[in-house]
Amino acid sequence: MTGTLEATTRTKERWKSREAWCALAGVVSLALAVGAASTVTAPVDNDLGLVAVLPYPFWAGVLILNVAFVVALRGDAAGPARRPVMIWLVVVLVLVLFGTAAFVTDIPRGEIAFRHLGIADALSHTQGIDPDIDGYFNWPGFFALLSTVLRATGLDPVALALWAPVLNMGLWLAALAVLTGYLTRDPRRRYLALWLFCLGNWQDQDYLSPQAFGFFLHLVVIALLLGPLAARAPQFRGFRRADLAAWWRGRSPAEPRPGYRVGALVITLLLITVIVASHQLTPFMLLIGVTALTLSGRVWPSRLPLITIVVLTLWLAYPASAYLLGHPPLADAGLEAATEANVLDRVRGTDGHVLVVQVRALLTLVLWGLAAAGAWRDWRRGRLDIRVVLLAVTPLLLFPAQVYGGEMLIRVSLFALPFIALQACSVLLPTDGSKLSTVGSKLPADGSKRRSYLAADDSKRRSYLAAGGLALTCVLLAVLTVTGRFGNARYDVFTHDEIDAVAAMQRLAPPGSAIISAAHPTPWRSEAYLDHRSRTIEDLCRSDLSTARCGPLVYDYARRSTAGAVLLITRSSEASLVLQGVRGAGGFSELEKWLGAQNGVELVFSNVDARVYRVTP
Amino acid sequence: MNIGSISRLTLALGLSAVALSLITLVGLPTPLQTIAAIAVLVLLPGQALARLTQVTDIALGALLVLALGLAALTVVSTAMFYLAVWSWQACVVSMGVITVLACMARARQEATT
Repeated sequence: MTGTLEATTRTKERWKSREAWCALAGVVSLALAVGAASTVTAPVDNDLGLVAVLPYPFWAGVLILNVAFVVALRGDAAGPARRPVMIWLVVVLVLVLFGTAAFVTDIPRGEIAFRHLGIADALSHTQGIDPDIDGYFNWPGFFALLSTVLRATGLDPVALALWAPVLNMGLWLAALAVLTGYLTRDPRRRYLALWLFCLGNWQDQDYLSPQAFGFFLHLVVIALLLGPLAARAPQFRGFRRADLAAWWRGRSPAEPRPGYRVGALVITLLLITVIVASHQLTPFMLLIGVTALTLSGRVWPSRLPLITIVVLTLWLAYPASAYLLGHPPLADAGLEAATEANVLDRVRGTDGHVLVVQVRALLTLVLWGLAAAGAWRDWRRGRLDIRVVLLAVTPLLLFPAQVYGGEMLIRVSLFALPFIALQACSVLLPTDGSKLSTVGSKLPADGSKRRSYLAADDSKRRSYLAAGGLALTCVLLAVLTVTGRFGNARYDVFTHDEIDAVAAMQRLAPPGSAIISAAHPTPWRSEAYLDHRSRTIEDLCRSDLSTARCGPLVYDYARRSTAGAVLLITRSSEASLVLQGVRGAGGFSELEKWLGAQNGVELVFSNVDARVYRVTP
Repeated sequence: MNIGSISRLTLALGLSAVALSLITLVGLPTPLQTIAAIAVLVLLPGQALARLTQVTDIALGALLVLALGLAALTVVSTAMFYLAVWSWQACVVSMGVITVLACMARARQEATT
C-alpha cells in the first residue's frame, strides 16, 4: 500500500538532505578506512591477518558505511535513495573491502598474480604457444589478452595486479546488476543483493587471474540467458511423458524480436568459446548452470548445453590435450577425497589460522542459511523463483567431481554467491520492500485517528527494527569477510625486502638454472618465467621437512642442476608453513645452517626478511 | 548505400577507430597511451559489435560493450599466438579493422531501415 503513496514536497526535501548525508557518510567512511589501512605496515605479524591489526577508525568506517547503506536502502515510500547515491555507496564498499590491501602496501598480495604476470610476459616474448610448458599454456586465452593489454597500454603490470581485485569486483558487480534486473523488479532487493555479494565475497578469487575474467563472462552469459534468450514456460503439469512433451512444446520466447535473439545467441557462443579457452573450471560451472536453466524451460535456445559440450570437448581434445594426457580430469574424483582436500586438510595450523578458516566456513553457512530461509519464505508465499534456486544450488554438483587442489569448495561457493545473496534478500527485506521505510506514508484523514496513530507507531517501530537488524547483519558480515579474506595476511602480504630478495635471486640465477623457494607464497616468476626450473622445499620434501631428511634432498636437487641453483628463503614462505601447521616456529634456520656448511653453497644476498643462497654444481 | 542515412555515431565510431589505432601505434605518453589503447582495443570494438544487436536496455548494452570488447580481443590475441604472428601492434590493427567492419555492417543495417 505504502508503495503507491506519493511523498509530500516536505518529505522530498527532507529526503534530499538525507541522500546528501548518506553520500557524505560514504566519503567519511572511505576516508576513515583508507586512512586507517594506510597506517598498517607490512609484515603483518598476526595469525588472524589484517583483522587484528586494522585500527578502530577502519571499523568505524565500515560501521558508518553499512548504516548509511541501510538508511539509503530504506529511502521513502517511493523506493530507495536515488541511483547515484546507491552506486556511490557500493563503490565505496568495493574500495573498502577489496582495496584494503592496496592501501596497506603497494605490492600485490599472494604469489599467483606474480606468476600470471610472468606467463603473460613469457607469451609476449615467445610469441607462440607451447602447450607442453605447463597447464597455463593449455588455456591461454586470458594470458593472451593480458599480454596484449600490458604491451599496448604501457600499464605497470604490478600496479594492475595490485588493483585487480577492485577492477574485477567492478566488472562482476556490473554484470550482477544487469543479471538481477531480470530476476527482480524491486530496486531494494537488487541493491541489497549487490551489497551482500560484496559482504559474502571472502573467497579471494578476484586477483589478476583467468578465473576472475571467466567469472565475469560467466555472469554476462547468465544475464543473456535470463534476458534476451529467456523463455516463458507454461504451468508444469507432471512428469508423465505426454505432460512433459506438452510442457516443453508450450514454451515461448520472452523476447519477441527474433533478430535480437539471434544476436544474443551469437554473443553467448562467443563468450562461451572465450571462457573455454581461458580457464579449466569455469566452462563446467557454466555448462551446469546453462543445462539447469534449459531443463527448467526458462531458456529459449534449447540446444545451448549441447553446443557448450561440443565446444568444451573440442578444446579438451585439441588445444588442452597435452595437459590432459598427464592429468586425467576424474583421477581424484569422489566425495570423500573432495571433503578431505577441501575441508579437513584446511582446518589445521595455528589457533589463529584455524579460527580464520572457521570464520570463512561460518560466513558461508550464515549466507546459505539466510538464503534457505529466504527460499522457504518465498515458497510459502508462492513467489519462489526456480531460476535463482537452480543457479545457487547447481555449482554444488561439481564438488565431488574434482579435488581441484583443495579449492573446489571455494569456487563452488563463489559461483553460487550471486544467487545466494539474491535469495538471502527475501529474508532480510520485508515481504513488501517498501515496508522497510515508513517515511512518506500518509495517515488516513477520516476518523479513528487514535487507532491509526497507534498502527503507524507500531509500523514505525517495526520498520526501525527491520532496518536496525539489517544494518547489524551487514556490519557482522563485513567483519567476517575482512577476517576471512585477509586472514592469510601474515604470509600473503609481502614486504619490500622480500621483493628485493626476489629481484636479487632473478638477477643471480643464470638462464637454465634451478630456482628454489621455501614454500609457495613467494612473489617470484613475474619475469623470465621460462628461463628457470622452479621448485619449493615444501614440494621437494613433501611431508618430512626435518633438516636430516630434507637438507640432503634440497642440496642434491640444487647440485644436479648443471647451470647451478639459487635458493631463496623468505619470511612469508616460512610464516605460511608455520601458520598452516606444516613446520614449527623455528622455520628453516637449522636447515639453512646445514646447507650453509655444504660445499658450493654460499650466502649471496640477505636482508631482514630474506636470504638468497647460490649453489654451484 | 545512401551515406546520408548512416548515423553520426556509426561514422564517429569508425573514424575514431582508425584515428586511435594510428595514434596508439605511433605512441603517446603513458597515461594517454593507456586511454587510447583501451579505447581502441576494448571500448570501440565492443561498442561497434554491441550496436549490431538490437539491444535496447542501456545497462545490458553497456555490459555488452565491455564483455564483447574483452572477448573479441581475447579471441584475436589467442588466435595470433596460436598462429605465431602475435604482436601488440597487429592486435591494435586487427581490433581497428573489426571496429570498422562492424560499423560498415551497422551502416548497411541503417541504410536498409
